[in-house]
This record gives sequence, C-alpha cells and structure tokens, in this order.
Amino acid sequence: MNNAYLTYAAKRLGQAVVVILLAYVFTFVVVSILPGDPITSVLRNPQNGFSEEEIAEIIAAQGLDKPIIVQLWHSLSGFLVGDLGMSMRSNRPVSTLIAEVLPSTLILASVGLAVAMILAMLVAYGTRFVPKRYGQGLLRGFPSLFLSVPNFVIGLVLIHLFGFQLGLFRVINPDSFWATLFAAIALGIPISAQIAEVLIANLDKEAEQEYATVARSRGLGQARLFARHLLKPASLPVVTVIALTIGELLGGSLITETVFGRTGIGSLVQRSVSTQDLPVLQAIVSLGAVVFVLVNLIADLLYPLLDPRVKILGGQKRRPTTADETSIGPSKAVTP
Amino acid sequence: MTKRSSLFALSRRRLLLSAAVATALVVANTPGFNPALAADSPRDGGDITFLIDSLGDTWIPNNSAISSFQGHIWGHVTDKLLYVDAEGKVSPWLVERFEQNDNATEFTLHLKNGVTFSDGEPLDAAAVVANLDIWYAGRKNEGINPIGLFPKTYDRAEAVDAATVKVFFKKPTLGFIPTLGYHGSILISPKSIAQPASEQADLSKTAGSGPYVVESWKEGDHVTLVKRKDYNWGPAAVGHTGPAFLDSITYKLVSEPSLRVASVQSGQADVAYNASPQELKSLKEEGYTIATPRYLGFVNGWAVNTKIAPYDDVKVRQALQAGINRQEIIDTVYTPDWKLPTSFIQSNVPGATDQSALLAYDPDKAEKLLEEAGWVKGADGVRAKDGKPLTLTLHSNPYLATSKSVDELIAQQLGKLGWKVSIRAYDVVTYGEKVKYGGPAIPTYEVTRSFIDAGTVAGILTNANNGENWFALDDRDSKLNDLRDKIAGAGTFDERSPLLNDLQQYVLDQGYFIPRTQIVQRIYVQSPTLKGEVYNGVAYASYYTAFIAD
Repeated sequence: MNNAYLTYAAKRLGQAVVVILLAYVFTFVVVSILPGDPITSVLRNPQNGFSEEEIAEIIAAQGLDKPIIVQLWHSLSGFLVGDLGMSMRSNRPVSTLIAEVLPSTLILASVGLAVAMILAMLVAYGTRFVPKRYGQGLLRGFPSLFLSVPNFVIGLVLIHLFGFQLGLFRVINPDSFWATLFAAIALGIPISAQIAEVLIANLDKEAEQEYATVARSRGLGQARLFARHLLKPASLPVVTVIALTIGELLGGSLITETVFGRTGIGSLVQRSVSTQDLPVLQAIVSLGAVVFVLVNLIADLLYPLLDPRVKILGGQKRRPTTADETSIGPSKAVTP
Repeated sequence: MTKRSSLFALSRRRLLLSAAVATALVVANTPGFNPALAADSPRDGGDITFLIDSLGDTWIPNNSAISSFQGHIWGHVTDKLLYVDAEGKVSPWLVERFEQNDNATEFTLHLKNGVTFSDGEPLDAAAVVANLDIWYAGRKNEGINPIGLFPKTYDRAEAVDAATVKVFFKKPTLGFIPTLGYHGSILISPKSIAQPASEQADLSKTAGSGPYVVESWKEGDHVTLVKRKDYNWGPAAVGHTGPAFLDSITYKLVSEPSLRVASVQSGQADVAYNASPQELKSLKEEGYTIATPRYLGFVNGWAVNTKIAPYDDVKVRQALQAGINRQEIIDTVYTPDWKLPTSFIQSNVPGATDQSALLAYDPDKAEKLLEEAGWVKGADGVRAKDGKPLTLTLHSNPYLATSKSVDELIAQQLGKLGWKVSIRAYDVVTYGEKVKYGGPAIPTYEVTRSFIDAGTVAGILTNANNGENWFALDDRDSKLNDLRDKIAGAGTFDERSPLLNDLQQYVLDQGYFIPRTQIVQRIYVQSPTLKGEVYNGVAYASYYTAFIAD
C-alpha cells in the first residue's frame, strides 16, 4: 500500500459519493415531473367517493402541494443524515420496507451469481475440451443463446416444468430451497453468458501464449493445463465483468422475483414504480448506486492485489503494456 | 347473489340462511354447535391458502378498509355493528337493536355485551364513538383519510352508558344504518386508533374484534390469520356465532392470474381470486366451485357528460341507450354468471326497480333517433352532421379487468349504427389524473362503484352537497334536482321507494346513465373440499363459517 494507491482509492471514493447524490436527485426530478402520486391515486379510487375538494384538502395536509424544490430539499436533507423518510404508499418507514425485503434479494442474487459463474465455467471449459465433432461450435453459441432468451421466459418454463409438472417446489412458497434454486437459475443464465464470453475470449488468447505451448510440449494434459495455467490469467478480466453484472443482477431480480412470486427489492421497486412512491424509489435507486459503485470500487481496488502486473501510477490504475513486461528492472511509470 | 357450480352447496346455503333466523338465539348460547350446517357437518381445524393478486397499499384501517384486496383480511380481523347480506338485508351484529327518531336525524344503538378487541380492550360505547369519529373525520394531516362514503351529515356521537350510543346528524340520514354494515365501517380498538399513522400502517399493531387475528404478515407477500378461540359474537345471519372452524387462513400474493388458478388446480392452494371470466366454464366442468357474487352498488356502465356535443342532445343519448346489445356482451366477454342490467343500480340493491324496457336492444330505434337528430350516414358508414363525424371516445376503466374487451365489443356494435368509436386504455395513475366525471374530453365515464344505500345515489349524481355531478348537469335539470331533494329529505323507506323508482326511470330515459352489465368485481375459484363460506353485501368471501369437508 503506497501513497499512490491511497490517493487512487480516495479519488474513487469521492466519485462514488457524487454518483450516489446525482442518482438521488435525478430520481426525485424524474418521478416528480410525472403526473400523479400514490396518495392521490388511492384517493381517486372510485370506490372511495371523495370529491375534488376533499382530495385537494388531503393533499395539502400532506404537504404535497408545496413546490418541488422545497420537497427536494426536505427529502435530501433527511437523506444526508440517514433518514430515508416514510413510504407514501404504505405509510411505513422506508428503512423498514427495505430491511424486510433485502435478505430475499441478497440470497437470490448471490445464488444467481454462483449459478452464473459455474455455468460460465462449464461452457468455457467445454469450448476448449469438447471435440469439434461433438459440438464445440454449438457450445460457443451458448452465450448468445443465453443472452437472447428473456429470463422471464426461462422462469415460466422452469416453473411449469419443475413446479407444476414435477412438483419439486410450490409456487406459493417461493422461498423454499428448490424454488430459490430455480429462480437463481433463471436469473443466472443470461448473466452467465456475459461471463462466459469474456472467459472464452481470454482462454483463447492465453492458449496461444508461449507459456501454454511450453506447458503442452512438456506433456501436460488438457484438464491440468486448463486448471493450473490458463484459468487464472484468463479469469482476471472476469472480475471486472462480474462487478458490472451486479447491475444486471439487481435489474434481473426485478423480473425474476415477479415471475417466481418472491418478495424482494425487485417486487418492492415494481410496487413503488406503479404507484410512484417517491421516497421508496429514491432510497432504492440510491441503494443500487451504492452497491454498484461499491462493488466496482472493490473490483478496482482488488485488481492490483490480484495481478502483480497491474500498477497504480499517478492515481490511475492500468495494466502495463507488453513493453513493461519485457522491460527488465524496477517498475517505472510509463506514459500512455 | 351467489352462483355456484354445486347445486348441493346452493341448497345448503339456502337452508343455512332460512335456519339462521330461527336458530339465532339457540346458537348464541351454544358456541361451536351449528344445526344449520349439520348436513355438511363442519369440522374444526384445517388451514387454507387464498391466492390474491395484490395486498394493496397502506394498512391504515381507514385508508384500506374498502380495498378490493385488503377488505378480505379486514373482514376476518374485524367486526361491524350491523350485517348486510348479499341481498342488502340489514341484520343485527354487534348492535343488537337500534331506534331512530321520525326524521332520521338521531339514532340510538344498543350494543352486545362482553365483546372484546384482541388487545383486551372492551368493545363498548366509548369504543364505538371513537370509531364513528375517525370514520367521519379521519386525521387528514397525519395521512389518515376519512371513510369516503360515511355520511357527511354526521354531527356527533355520545356514549350514554357502556352499552348505548346516541348518534346525531345535521340532516335526515336514512343511509346511516346500512352504512354500519358497509366494508368501510370496521371496528378497531381505540388503542389502535390512537396510534400514529406509521403504527397503524403496521397490520400486526392493529387490533380488531373479529374471529381471526393476524399471526404474521409481510408487505407485498402474505398475511396469515389464526382463529381467535374466545370469539363468540358472529352475526346471527350467517348461522354461526362461535369461534371459526378453520385454524388459519393465509392470504398469499401471486400476481400472475394463470399461476393462481394453476396452483388451485394442482392442489397447492384452496382459493384463487380474480380468475379470468373465460376460464370459468372449464374450471366449473372440472368440479371447482366458482363464485361470482355481486356487490350492492351501481351497475357497470357510463355516466354521460351532457356538456360535450353531441351528447348534449337527448336523442343521441337515447340512441346510445338503445344501440348497445347487452346480451351480446354477456355472451361474448362474460359467462351466464353475469346478469343483464335492469336499472343503473344492481338488481340486488333494496330499492332497485326493473327498468329493462328502457334498456332493450333496438338498433332500428337508435338509427331513427340519430336520423331525427340530424346525423346522416355517409358513404363510409360513419354518420355526420354539419361536416362533423359522430364520434365517441371510450376510456377503459383500469379497475375492471374486462373493461377493454367490453369497450371493443361495444365499438363494433355502435360502429354498425354509424358511430366512430375510439378506445383509450390508461394505467391506474394516468387514468386517475386524466379521466374524471364531466371532464372536457370525457364524453362517457365508466362507473364501477359500490354504495351503501340507494338513498345516497341521487346526491352523487348531482352537484349538491359536494355531489359528484356525474352528468355535468350542474343545476340545469330541475326535475333531477327535485327528485334528489325529496329523496334526501325522506324520513322513511315507504316514502322513499317510489321516489327512487322515478329517479331510476328518469335517469335511464334521459340517457344520462348507459348501463352495460351488472357488475361482478370479485371472482372466486375454490377447491371443492372447502365449503360453507358466505358472501356479504360487498361480495367479499368470509371463511368464518367455512370448513374443509372430507
């Protein structure tokens, strides 16, 4: 840990804070300029039979008739001291709502990520070691296939096959082991595609490197070559891709949760968007920004530790060019 | 009215209802034993799962009691002062008897003794006063709304003694008594009422006096209710007053309709709410119990905006009335479980009269009326007058799933007569913003609305006393205003009934309201082993009397 590393870390952290604040304000503005709010839409339910005067009176009592900038200041000042406010739809604290649903999404996302990684590994392994006549080319097409089938289709097929036909899980008990696993599979399949594509490309590159040829010439078997020599260098860029897929995991969980009837962040977002529940949306968008920024930050900060060839130079992370690798002697700054 | 596939269930229910009155006294003293249900021998125990498409928004009792979704839970967790059955008949519940003065401005309610809320508080006169007050006024600055349909003429309520409440109104309010059996009027413990909105929004912190209590709940996921063993004050009208038979009821949110029905078919759940009407016939044939109870209220239809041309012309409105083939709507979009409208209020509402003659399908008459009004058919089949085509823009009601299909069918029917119909479908939020009664671009507003008492109808239609002015008539129709004032001032039902008949006839004849079909807003698909449920005046299923048959 040198000074350059710390400067780099501090700079990234500062950027992260700005991104989160911008996300917060952006959500507020976008939702505010849309017509409607959860309170009026409840009041306007024809069953209620409120007159326009009564609706206006209740809206004013809730402070919803104040100028947008006043409302923004009110909510932003709360957010800065850690108060996420109250949900306009359910009248409960936003922090309670999020705490209720977060565990379910974390479980789904982590199992989904694990499924994606295992699947990507299997496909990538297959593309190297399945003989051409047994469909190696087909395996290389898998990532594009996985990416092009929407995950709600995968989800519905899995539910009908394993839930209703085989009875492995009950649709009304979506938190059971099997239901969680199949939801994670539906979520993991499209994500595995992105990981697999990067992994395959890097395996191809690494396999052509001289050290691989040398290893092969020493009589190393396919499996040992893959596990001992190719996998580690080829999976470094995968760390970055995984960090980027966190966004997909959160976004994908919205659809997967709805299809599988799970109650998580995704379903909370869905309910909040459909009723324009601003405080909840702001909190979740900010939370998403925090997670996304944090994971990418961790990936970036981990990188130099994982790959000794990566150096921090003047606050910038970069992987050295071939010129650095071939140069002998102490590390030196290289102008890009 | 409830239609079911099983004739056996129907006859048992009839038996249950008729026996209820005779045995009410006996039953009250022997909780757990129910002669009316003896034929099916209700069995204690069992757990059921009810799959529902939403669990609504907030759980603040005042804001959620009339929700199509949360109303199911409130119906089991809370009681009401009076019971209103599917035919609109009012009978005693926690109010054993009541008196009113001659002009219906003062009511005295006599409460049942020994009733308690699940938090241990007594359900006494003071508790009833606290409830009446919050229904009327809410706590608006806290976000606790008043009950929209509670009489605005309410003045105050007083606890005379522990079991007697006196209620005062500023004007005659015949509708007060039926209101007490309405879904909004749920009794909540005074301790719960005193809680701030954020606490009231936590369902587990609200105590009612109903046969079930909340065991657990998770927002957007489920509510699990367990029976209250000391419950002993059910409404005599349902033929059972002791503790419920089923141990627990779980309301589980499954938003996908096909998954709800498939789960009941595969035995994973017992009831699926809001199946699509098209599926009902085959489900019935498979042996599932199908219930399509009707609520007390307006039929599904249009309130016509008389300010927008050409609907300011009575002949065009009457042509619209005669030009809709309502039987075809039932045959095409619905099933025979749906009923033709006979008025602009549902036929099970006390005070509804049969105006079918005014609603007969007569395309020749419609064309003749349009000709008389000066609308001439052009080469393209569209009628025009002074160079303007005869248009109608429909806004499908997002609160009724089948609304758009009905609109599409009506567009075809009116198209043949020379109308150019366009259909707009908005989501709930946009609809609430853009589509209002009498709005400048809203020639017809599609009504889906239940109400407590036919006497309130006239007030809603006009602009008097915060009325909703459905036809944008303002004060222009003196005959309608006259009927409204007479109905509002009526002190007895005998005085009011003929006036209500005149009102129905007048509104339909003028083409102010164009009924489509009687409305079924709640559809239940139920496992054949679950029996004995009861549907009330707002078409909610109560499983208080239900049990699992072997």
